[in-house]
Amino acid sequence: MFGLSFLSPLFLVGAAAAAIPIAIHLFYRRAEPIVDFAAMRYLRRAPVEQSRRRRLRELVLLALRVSALVLLACAFARPYLSESVAALNGDATMVLIDTSASLSAPGRFDAARELAERAIREAPPTHAVGVMAFAHASDEIAPLSQDRAGALAAVAQLKAGAGATRYRAALRRAGDAFNGRAGRLVVITDLQQSGWDPASEGGIPDTIAVEVEDIGGPSANLAMTSLRAEGAEAVAVVHNFSPRPATEQVVFAVDDRRIGAVPLTLAPGGSAEARVPVDGYRSGALSASITDREGYLADNVRYAVLDAASAISVLAVTATGHPSEALYLERALGIAEGTGGFRFRALSGAAFSQPDAAFLGDVDVLAIVSTRGVEQRGRDRLAQFVRSGGGLLLTAGPDVEPELLRQALDGIVVTSWAARSGQALPQASGQASGQASGQASGHTLSFAPDDSRHPVFRLLGGAGTLGSVSFARAALIDAPASANVIARYSDGSPALVDERTTGGRVLVFGSDLNYRWNDFPLQPAFVPFIHETLRYLATPRTARSEYLVGDLQAVAAAMPGIVDLQGRRVAVNTDPRESDPARMLAETFQAGISRLNASAAQQARSEARQQEDSQGLWWYGLLLMVVSLAAEGVLGRRLG
Amino acid sequence: MNAQSAGTQLTRPSELRFLDPAILARLATIELKARAVVEGLLSGLHRSPFKGFSVEFAEYRQYLPGDDLSRIDWKVYARSDRYYVKKFEEETNVDCHLLLDVSASMGYGSGGVTKLEYGSVLAASLAYLMNRQRDAVGLTTFDDAIVTMVPPSARPSHLRSILVTLDRIGLGRRTDVSKPLHVLADGIGKRGLIVFISDLLDEPERIVNGLRHFRFRGSEVIVFHLLDPAELTFPFEHAARFRDMELGDEVMAVPSVVRREYLDALHTALDRYKRELGAEGIDYRLLDTSTPLEYALMSYLSTRGRAR
Repeated sequence: MFGLSFLSPLFLVGAAAAAIPIAIHLFYRRAEPIVDFAAMRYLRRAPVEQSRRRRLRELVLLALRVSALVLLACAFARPYLSESVAALNGDATMVLIDTSASLSAPGRFDAARELAERAIREAPPTHAVGVMAFAHASDEIAPLSQDRAGALAAVAQLKAGAGATRYRAALRRAGDAFNGRAGRLVVITDLQQSGWDPASEGGIPDTIAVEVEDIGGPSANLAMTSLRAEGAEAVAVVHNFSPRPATEQVVFAVDDRRIGAVPLTLAPGGSAEARVPVDGYRSGALSASITDREGYLADNVRYAVLDAASAISVLAVTATGHPSEALYLERALGIAEGTGGFRFRALSGAAFSQPDAAFLGDVDVLAIVSTRGVEQRGRDRLAQFVRSGGGLLLTAGPDVEPELLRQALDGIVVTSWAARSGQALPQASGQASGQASGQASGHTLSFAPDDSRHPVFRLLGGAGTLGSVSFARAALIDAPASANVIARYSDGSPALVDERTTGGRVLVFGSDLNYRWNDFPLQPAFVPFIHETLRYLATPRTARSEYLVGDLQAVAAAMPGIVDLQGRRVAVNTDPRESDPARMLAETFQAGISRLNASAAQQARSEARQQEDSQGLWWYGLLLMVVSLAAEGVLGRRLG
Repeated sequence: MNAQSAGTQLTRPSELRFLDPAILARLATIELKARAVVEGLLSGLHRSPFKGFSVEFAEYRQYLPGDDLSRIDWKVYARSDRYYVKKFEEETNVDCHLLLDVSASMGYGSGGVTKLEYGSVLAASLAYLMNRQRDAVGLTTFDDAIVTMVPPSARPSHLRSILVTLDRIGLGRRTDVSKPLHVLADGIGKRGLIVFISDLLDEPERIVNGLRHFRFRGSEVIVFHLLDPAELTFPFEHAARFRDMELGDEVMAVPSVVRREYLDALHTALDRYKRELGAEGIDYRLLDTSTPLEYALMSYLSTRGRAR
C-alpha cells in the first residue's frame, strides 16, 4: 500500500489561501436582480438556467477555484507516494535472533531460542509478530502477522550457523520489514563486539523501539583461524581467545583421512601454529580441527584445498636485483614457498627495463622496492603490467622516486605521495638515502586499519595487532576520493591505499618494508600482512581457493567445508573475526542504534527525495491546477 | 359608422389622437377612465375626416326625453314636424359578456400601467359603450376559476355595478382558462357577444377549445390579447433571476443569450393564436398595453356589427 507524503510539507500552509474564494462565496456574492415576469412560459423555452442548477454551478465554480489553490500548494510541497502500510495496520513486534557462529557455543542458542519464544508470547496482543534470523545476512523466517504459532514454530526450527555477526545490516533489514509500522524490535544476541562494524550503512526508524536480550557468551574460545598449504606442509593457526593458557591438539586430515595430530600450548590471547607434512598429497580436501568444547563450535575446524593451489609469483624490483635489498620481504614469503604459497624473485630496475620482458610472463605481483635504473621502457612495462591485470605493491622507501612512479602510472593510479615536512625523500638522481629507522625527527607514527574487513587485514584480528609497528619515517600520501584508504597513521594521514584500476590491483604503502623507515618487519603482524597483501594483489590472476561463510550464495557454503564452485573445489571457512568472544555492553549496543536512527532519518530523507524525483507528482498537480483554472474560466464566463 | 376591421393589429390613423393609457391610468375612477375613452372615441370619430368608419343606421324611433339631441334627425323633423332619433344597429338587443382575466400574470406592467389595469379600463370602456348603446352587458372575472360574475343587463344603473366591480378587482391566482370558459359557455343561454380580455399565458389548446365552445353556442367572440411591451420585445440587458409571477419559481437568464429563443417562442404562440382562432371565426386582437384603448373599442365596434 502507498501513502501520500510531502517533501516540503511547509508549503501546504499555502492551501489556506483556499479560504479566500470560500469567504467571497459566502460573504460577497454578486446579487442578480430579481425580475418578476409574467410570460415565463416563453422564457422557459429559451436556454435559461433554473436557480437550483445555477447554485450548483456556483458551487462547482467555487470547488474549481479552491481546488486550483490547493493543488498549487500541494505542487510546491512536492508530493510523492511512499510505500507505507502505516497506522492502518497497527503496531508490530519483530524478533531478531542471532544465528551467527558465536551462538554455536554449548547452550547459547538454546538460551537464544527461549528468549525468542518468550518475546513472541509476551508481545502485546494487538501487535503483529515476526521473526528474523541474522548472521552475515538476515532472513525473514516468519513475516509480520497475527500467526504467533507460526512464529514459534519458525523459531523452534532455527539453529546456530557459521556466519559472522553483522548487526548494522540486520537492524536495517529488520527496520525495513516494519514497512512504516511502529512497534518493537527485540534483538536476541550475545552482543559480540566484532559484529558492530561502523563502516557499513544502515538505520531503523525512530518509531521502532529496540530491546536487547543478552544471552551472554563464553568467556573463552579456542579458534582455528587459518589453515593453508605452504610448500610441503599444512599449517594451521590456533588462537586462544582466553585469559588463561590452553592446550589443544590439532588433528589434520586429507579427504577425511587423518594424517596427523599436533599438540599445541597456547598462551593467553596468543596464537600458535601446527604443521604437518602434506608433500605426498597433490590434491585433496585438507582439514584441521580442535576439540574446544566450551567455546564456539563452528570455528573448531578449518578447511583448505590442496589441488590447483599454485604459488603466487612475486617479483621485487630492487636497486641491484639482489634479494637482500628486499630481505624481509623475501623471508616473509619464504615461509610459504611452494604450492599455496609464494615464489619470490628480485630484479634490478635496469634489468626490469630490458627489451626482453619474458620474465614478466608468470609474475602475479610486482613489488617496487626501488626505482633506480628503471628506464622509460621499464616505466611503460610497469603500466602495461597493471593494465593486464597484474598486482602492484608500491612502497614509499628511500630508494623509490614517487615522481617517476607518478609519471609511469599516469592515468592508471591517481594516488601519489610526497615528503612530510621536516623529512626528505630521495632526489630524482636516485640519491641513496642511507636512512635507517630512527634518523627522522624523533616523532614516530603507528598505524591502524581504517577498514578492518579488508582482505589484507583478515588474519590480523583488528587494530591491536598493527598498533605495535613504529614508523620513524613515512611519506605523506595524497589519496583522492576515488581511492580506498584502508589504513591510516596515528596522525590520520593515509598509510595504505587500495586503488582498483581497470586492470590489476594496486596497493600504495606509505613507508618501506625493509626495516629502514620502520620496524614493521620485526613485528609478528608483518608476515601475515605481507602474505595477505600479496594474495590480495594476486587475486585477479589467481584462482581463489578459500571463501568465508557468506561469500558464496550456494546453500552448501552456509557451513564450513569444501564446496564445488564451477567445477573447482574451494574451501569455505568461518570468518576469523567471529571467533573473538569479546563482548560489548548493552548500552553500547543501544548507543549504536541511536546513531542508526539519525542515519535512518537521513537515509529516509534521501530515499524520499529519490522517490519524489522519480515520481514527479508535482507536475501532475500543476497540470491539474491549470485545468481547474481553465474550467473555472469557461464556467464563470457562462454564468455571466 | 361602420367599424372597419383593422386586422389583428389596430392601425393608428394619424388624424385620430387618443389618450395614452398611461395618462388614462391617472384618472381617479374607472368610470372617468371609461367615459374618457368612449367619449373621446366617439367625438373623435365625429370630427374625423376618416370616412371608413361608420355605424350602421337601422331605423327611427320617437324622441324620448333624455336622448342625446345630436341624434335627432332634423330632416325627418322637417318632413314630419316630429322629433325622431336615429336608431343604430347597436341598439338591437345583444347580450355582451365581458370576460376579464384577473390571474396573477395580469399584474405585470413594465410601464405605467399593468395588464390588469389596462384590461379593466378596456372592459369598463366597453361596458360603458355597450350600455350607451342599450346592449345588455355583463362582466365575469376569472383566473383558474370564476372569481366574480355580473350577469348581463341593459339597465343604465347596471353599468355602475360593473364599474364598481371593475374598480375593486384584485389579482387572482394562476392562469387556467379551461374550466371557467367551459362553465361560462354552458351557462350562457342565448347567443351574444363574448369579449375575452386576457394575456393568454396558458396552453393555447385549452384557450382555443374554451373559446370554440362559445362559437359552438352561436356567440361571436372577440379576443383582446393583452401583452406588456416588455413581454413583446424582451428588452432586458443584464443577467437576472426572472421570477414567475404565478408560480414563484425563478430562472436565471442572460438576456442576450435567451432573447432570440424567447421571441421565437412568443411569435410562434402569437401565430398559433391568430391562425387557430381565425379558423374558428374568432376575432383576435393583439394589444400591447401602450396602445390607446380607443383602438380596441374601434375593433369592438366593427365586430359588434356582425353580432346582430
